[in-house]
Amino acid sequence: MAPRIQNPIGSNSLLPYLSSSSTSSSFTPLSSRSQRSCRSFSSTIVPQTRLRNQMFLWLQHQAAELKHHKPGSTNYLSQIIPGSLFPESRPFPQNIHYRSESILSEELRREIHHRVVVRKKSVRAVSVELKVDMRRVAAVVRLVELEKRMTQEGKPLALPYARAIHEMVPTTPLYDQELRAHEEINDLPVHRLTNPQIFYPVSESRQFNRVDAGRVFSAAPALEQEQAAKDAADDSEFISRITQNPSHIEVVGKGEDEHQVLQPADVRIPHPHMISSRRAQNLVPQERTEHPKIYRAHLQKAEEAEQERKRRSEERKGKQTQRVQPEDSRFEFRINDVVVSQETTGKDGRNARAPGRRYGVPSYDRKKGQVKIPTRVEV
Amino acid sequence: MVVRIRLSRFGNRHQPFYNIVVAQARSARDSKPLEVIGTFNPIPQRPTNLSEEEARTAKAYKEISLDRSRAKYWLGVGAQPSGSAWRLLSLAGLVQENKKVQN
Repeated sequence: MAPRIQNPIGSNSLLPYLSSSSTSSSFTPLSSRSQRSCRSFSSTIVPQTRLRNQMFLWLQHQAAELKHHKPGSTNYLSQIIPGSLFPESRPFPQNIHYRSESILSEELRREIHHRVVVRKKSVRAVSVELKVDMRRVAAVVRLVELEKRMTQEGKPLALPYARAIHEMVPTTPLYDQELRAHEEINDLPVHRLTNPQIFYPVSESRQFNRVDAGRVFSAAPALEQEQAAKDAADDSEFISRITQNPSHIEVVGKGEDEHQVLQPADVRIPHPHMISSRRAQNLVPQERTEHPKIYRAHLQKAEEAEQERKRRSEERKGKQTQRVQPEDSRFEFRINDVVVSQETTGKDGRNARAPGRRYGVPSYDRKKGQVKIPTRVEV
Repeated sequence: MVVRIRLSRFGNRHQPFYNIVVAQARSARDSKPLEVIGTFNPIPQRPTNLSEEEARTAKAYKEISLDRSRAKYWLGVGAQPSGSAWRLLSLAGLVQENKKVQN
C-alpha cells in the first residue's frame, strides 16, 4: 500500500531551518511512518486510486529532491521541471507570468547601512551604486539602526522568521554579475494625471515631446517656442531648475482644481540626472572620462541645493515661531504669528484663512458621508 | 462696558480648543466676538522628527497662534485680558507677567 499523507505530528518541516544539519536530521522519510494509519477506527483497506499512486510515485522519484530544502535558496516546483526559465523565482510552474519579487539579502542590507552610516555617503549615491530605491535605502538604514538598538537592549530578534522568509522568496545578492536593479521598472508610480487617454492633434511641423505631453495632460497652454527650444537644448539645466525649485513649477487651474503642471517623466523619476548623463554619453562617446565627473558634479549641486532649501524652510519656520519655556511649566509654548486683516478674514469674517475656528460656518465633520481618510496620495 | 481679551471654547468634548477673542465683557462666552486675534490649543503635542537624545529630553508643547499687532492695538485702547488670556499674552511678551492671576 502506498503511504498516506502524514499528519504533521513530530515533523518540523514547517518550522524555520536553522542550519543545513538540522534540516536533514529533522526529516523522516515517509515510508518509515506508513504503519501509523490515520484511520484507526476503520478496518477496511483504503483503495488507492491510480492518480494517488502516481502522485506517490512522483513524490518518491522526480520530486525527491524537493524533500530536502537547500538552505539559502528557494524550493520551488519549477526547479525540477526541465526547460523552465528562472526556476528560482517562479513558484507556480503553470503560471509563467507570476514571479516572486526578490527581497534584499542580508549582505546587501548590511552594505547599504555601512555605506550610508559609516562611509557617510548620501542616500542618493548609495541608491545609484547598488541599484536600490532611495526609499528602500532609507528604510534599510532605519531598520538596521532599530535592530542594533534592540540588540543593545537585549531584546530578541525574530531571526528564525527572517531566515524562513529569506528562503521562501528569492533575494538580491550583494555582488551580482549582471548588476540587476533590485526593483522592477513597474514599481515606478504612475501619475494620476496620465491616466486619461487624450486625443490631441498636433501639426506635423511641430515638435511634440514629453514636456508638451505633460502640459496636455494637465490642461496647460502650450509653451512658447523659444522657451521649449531652450529647455530641449540643455536638459540637465532644465532638470536642475525643476528639481531644485519644486515650488516654482507653473500652476494651472482655479480653486479646488489648482495643480502644478505635470513635468516630463525624465524629471519626475528618482534619479533624473542619470538619464541626462547617459544621453550625453550616447551623444558624445569620445569623452568617456568626463561624463562621470559631470554627473557627480550635478549630484553634488543637487545635494547642496536640497540642504539649502531645507535650511531656508527651517529658518522661515523658526522666524514665525517663538518658543517659550516657562521655568515652572512642564510644557513648552510655541507662539506662531498669524495675521488678522480684511484679506484673511474676508468681508463677512468667515474666510477659512483667518486664524481661529469660524463663527456661523457649520462644521460638517460629524455629518454622514464626510470622508476624513485621505483619498489621494501626492506622488 | 468693558472690552475684554478672553478665550472662547471650541472643539468637542474632551478636545478643548480656544479662540483668543476680543469681545464685550457681558456677552456670552461663545457668542460672535468683535475680533478673533488668535488660537490656543491646550492639549500638549509631542514633538516629532527628533533624534534619540533629543526625544528623551524634549518637552511636549502647546500651540498658541496670535496676531501680535492686533493684540497690542486692543491692549492700547484699553481692552482687559482675562486671567488665562493674560497668561498667554505674558508668554508672548505683550504684558507683564502677573504672579497671582485670579479668575
